[in-house]
Amino acid sequence: MRVGDRLPVVEKGVSQEHVERYARASGDFNPIHMDPDFAAGSQFGTRIAHGMMGAATISEMMTSAFGGAWLNTGRMKIKFRSPVYPGDRITTLGRVKSVRETASGSEIECAVEITRDSGEVAISGDAMVTVSTDRRPEASGQG
Amino acid sequence: MAIDYSELVPGQSVSRRRYLLDGAMIADYMASVQDESGLLESPESNPLVPPMSIAALSVGGVVQDLQIPGGSLHVGQELDFVRAVPVGETLVCEATLKQNSVRGGWRFMVLESEVRDPEGRMVMAGKSTVMLPVPADDPPGAAG
Repeated sequence: MRVGDRLPVVEKGVSQEHVERYARASGDFNPIHMDPDFAAGSQFGTRIAHGMMGAATISEMMTSAFGGAWLNTGRMKIKFRSPVYPGDRITTLGRVKSVRETASGSEIECAVEITRDSGEVAISGDAMVTVSTDRRPEASGQG
Repeated sequence: MAIDYSELVPGQSVSRRRYLLDGAMIADYMASVQDESGLLESPESNPLVPPMSIAALSVGGVVQDLQIPGGSLHVGQELDFVRAVPVGETLVCEATLKQNSVRGGWRFMVLESEVRDPEGRMVMAGKSTVMLPVPADDPPGAAG
């Protein structure tokens, strides 16, 4: 994997049903995600998806690209820049920023983003993973 | 009982929960985020859970135990996955307040989380930054 390589794109629609299912799975029932009347009076004017749902999509992209190395050595540092609304489609962007060879393998740092179908960036940040020397993933393309 | 956020001090443990990552829970999580990558197989154990399912429980536990109010914003998240976790494992999630300050009408709280297996081995660490709306008469609280 080389600097500039792009990671596999993950794209999906987010519905209110997904949001409510995530609330049940995580235990996060904050009314900004669940209660239309409460959300109508918020700064967003409507319900929003949990930020961690978008983060999960970044993690799915990293798992697709790096397999078990992501589960054992992955690190992620992200900012939630704008909300994802039920009804949005979200798309991941991932690009290799640096590759550093070490005794334990290749330390790969990627710039990661989630964008909404409006083009607005919902999440941005960095993800790092160490791929051992005997298992290096193939890039899906080059950027 | 309502929490007085101004009385929370850095270093204070604010959430501790124990979870069984059974197959039904993981299936429900994967459906909610439409994770189509599938569970990775492990040669030594059950299939491996998506690491963000652990993060979801960790953050969800903090939201519940701190009674994070509606209108709050989750603005940043750091995660460090230390060890892959198989379906069926029990984990303990604990969160500690690292910063608690008020500026510009918002309370900024930074929370560090550690998730460990029953033997005490770390499987995930995290740091969450949340902004809570501050009532006009709310004192600043302990700086961190």
